[in-house]
Amino acid sequence: MIEQAKNGGGLIIVGEVAMGFPPPRTSYARAAYGNTEPNTQSATWLRIGQDGSVTAYAGKVEYGQGIRSGLAMEVADELRLPLDAVEVVLGDTDRTPWDMGTFGSQSTARAGLQLRKAAATAREALLELAADHLDLPVADLTCANGQVASVQDSGHSVTYGDLLSEKTIERDLVEDIELTPESKFTVMGTDALRIDAIDQVTGKATYSQDIIVENMLYAAVLRRPSVDAKLLDLDTTAAEHMPGVQQVVRDNHLIAVLAETDEQAERSSATLQAQWEEQEDRSSQLDLPELLKKSGGDPFTVQEAGSLEEGFREADELLEATYYIPYVSTVPMEPRAAVARWDGDKLTVWAGTQRPFGLRTELAGRFEIDESNVRVIAPEIGGGFGSKSLYPTAHEAARLARVAGRPVRVAHTRGEEMQWGTVRPAALIEVKSGFKSDGTLVAWQFDAYHATNERPFIGRRGSDTPYTTPHVKVTTYSSQSPLRVGSYRSLGGAVNHFAREVHMDEIAEATGIDPVELRLRNLREPRFRRVLESAADAFGWEAKQPPSKRGVGVAIGLDVGSYIATCVELGVQGAEVRVERVTAALDCGLTVNPEGAKNQTEGGIVMGMGTALYEAVDFQAGTVLTAGFARYRVPRINNAPQIETVLVGDPETPSTGAGEPGIVPIAAAISNAVFDLTGKRQRELPIQRHLR
Amino acid sequence: MLSVTVNGEEQDAPEAGRNLLSFLRFDLGLTGSKYGCGEGLCGACTVLVDGQPLRACMATVGSVVGGSITTIEGLAQDGDLHPVQQAFIDESAMQCGYCIPGFIMTAAGLLGRDASPSSAQIREALAENMCRCGTYMRIQRAVERASGQLGGSA
Ligand code: FES
Ligand code: FES
Repeated sequence: MIEQAKNGGGLIIVGEVAMGFPPPRTSYARAAYGNTEPNTQSATWLRIGQDGSVTAYAGKVEYGQGIRSGLAMEVADELRLPLDAVEVVLGDTDRTPWDMGTFGSQSTARAGLQLRKAAATAREALLELAADHLDLPVADLTCANGQVASVQDSGHSVTYGDLLSEKTIERDLVEDIELTPESKFTVMGTDALRIDAIDQVTGKATYSQDIIVENMLYAAVLRRPSVDAKLLDLDTTAAEHMPGVQQVVRDNHLIAVLAETDEQAERSSATLQAQWEEQEDRSSQLDLPELLKKSGGDPFTVQEAGSLEEGFREADELLEATYYIPYVSTVPMEPRAAVARWDGDKLTVWAGTQRPFGLRTELAGRFEIDESNVRVIAPEIGGGFGSKSLYPTAHEAARLARVAGRPVRVAHTRGEEMQWGTVRPAALIEVKSGFKSDGTLVAWQFDAYHATNERPFIGRRGSDTPYTTPHVKVTTYSSQSPLRVGSYRSLGGAVNHFAREVHMDEIAEATGIDPVELRLRNLREPRFRRVLESAADAFGWEAKQPPSKRGVGVAIGLDVGSYIATCVELGVQGAEVRVERVTAALDCGLTVNPEGAKNQTEGGIVMGMGTALYEAVDFQAGTVLTAGFARYRVPRINNAPQIETVLVGDPETPSTGAGEPGIVPIAAAISNAVFDLTGKRQRELPIQRHLR
Repeated sequence: MLSVTVNGEEQDAPEAGRNLLSFLRFDLGLTGSKYGCGEGLCGACTVLVDGQPLRACMATVGSVVGGSITTIEGLAQDGDLHPVQQAFIDESAMQCGYCIPGFIMTAAGLLGRDASPSSAQIREALAENMCRCGTYMRIQRAVERASGQLGGSA
């Protein structure tokens, strides 16, 4: 039971938390938690203080998706309060309910529902208290603006604070409580401003990089020159005598200088004399396409129907093509950083991880201490995009602090972040299709080789085709990866969609049918048809035979349960193409926070535009050559398009994610638009490298 | 002992060679200026020195002695947000927020020089700042909104 949240009394809503509940659709979480034994714990979800202040607790983290505001909106509506009356405490293992982690875009949906129930439970409790206080039956009472009032006489009322003053009441969260219907929402569904905006614009928002604790030492960790390099010899004498150096720690493979300031640590670590043995493997990004195909194993059939042989025979025309998507770097603006402090056997770690509770388990295991002796606090996260599920700097800080006997800060430089953070798996995808001359698909063969190493499930996401095809076989393979791969926005989803949606465009080209029309002819799913028609309509899409020389392109996508269609228009700027305009239609069911959903969609589009046009991780012999902004180009404001997002979700359909769909079809839409403009098909990313 | 003026207050500086960003963040605890790259390429660390934007990660304390430094913490005056700060809120120009102080300081510097820049001038002035969350369209709108207000009151 989590006690901290109860301090100060008031009305406390306590609920059971299943630890290790059904894994979400996102693959990383499935891998991390698929085997966790279900176990439950009781935790505080909501507290209304004796002064009427409302605090909601969720184990989720904020990395820019606006979850704090989204959750506050749900609580505010159930409690009939304005948005700014709700405070949300996130990602602190000592204060918030257990949570598997913030991945994918499911955060609002899952935690939000729980908080709504907690808030509705609290509202019922307040009504009962008020019935006593005002001497009226509950049925004659109503909640509004932080007060319970008589329905007949709104002047006959009492504030939540007055009802709770000097009281401590604990209630169990009622699982099947009646929630406020959508028609009564006054906060949800509106374009409310973010509740944490003021902290962001005044510099008060605190990220891992900003954590400073008393008596803290700054670490500079000695990093290997390449993935598999082995340390042969190390001379630390010079470093030990540099000013401000407390010690040079050597704990197995972890070697670090600890000093009183960041610069002292950096300067002295530069004097460490290390000799490395490098591995023989000299592969570079140029060898990657071949390696992907050659090393592809563990075939997994994602989708199968009919017989390909028959399908190809029935077809009027066949088309075969290969697509290549290189590694891309996640590049969150905030490089990972962590501070660790030991108080006797108790460990506190500040780390901007997407999995605070997972990190707690890891740390407890590493130091063989009870989980209750480990507290992980996730401050604001300066961008995660999935990659911050892994947080090695937290382990390093905890190990170093243990040795040093003082708190230690380990912070990645930009170079370290891009060298040692993970990359999105590269992929080679082969597609063979058979279709009738009217564009109707009859056969679809999709073989995707993703550089996923031991995590084959990554490549499966989004590999199945939504187009009605009688004869279909979709197979994914797990290929070797010379670089360490990890999570990324939509991960395999955006990669598989690139190949599929460019190939669909090639069929449009082969049949001379407009690309929107071609897709509609093969799509049955009404939600898909709706997003495509809405996007085309809002964009002002005019049906033409491709290539039309206008520089327009379209693609559709499905990820985390949300449907999206995207149209783009390109222009030319010197030797470059420039994405001028993007229109996306998104169906993520009930949209709690439309402004947040649009913001996320825009972000996904800009990020995906980077992968389409500029981004690729170059490497040689296990070393990333593009570890820094000088060599790795990401979109800037002068590349950014005008983006219009139309939300077409049905409020009766449950909420699905909005953080990831934006990136899913955009690379294909841009590639298709480049073809429409130039007549040259782009099957390899990033496109700008292949344009003259 | 060296001293520099930060947000209107005299501050002792340890040594002339101290990196300005480290000094602000770790010695003064003004962590609103962010570390994004340490190479002058992302703008997350931007502060104003006598009203002009400066990449703090590329400067030393010694190089700003005698100048007046404003960080994001010192931009609001007497509790009133700077118009650029207010405009970022009004346009929801933020996601993770890590880049935002740098954008705001760069934009405040621009509007200090020219209260009504064109859209193209805004883009150009902000092109050295990076927002990985991709909020560029909103940032552009926010700066246009603030410039409208500043221009109007000028
Ligand atoms: S941190 Fe100074 S420009 Fe990036
Ligand atoms: S808001 Fe996250 S980097 Fe700009």
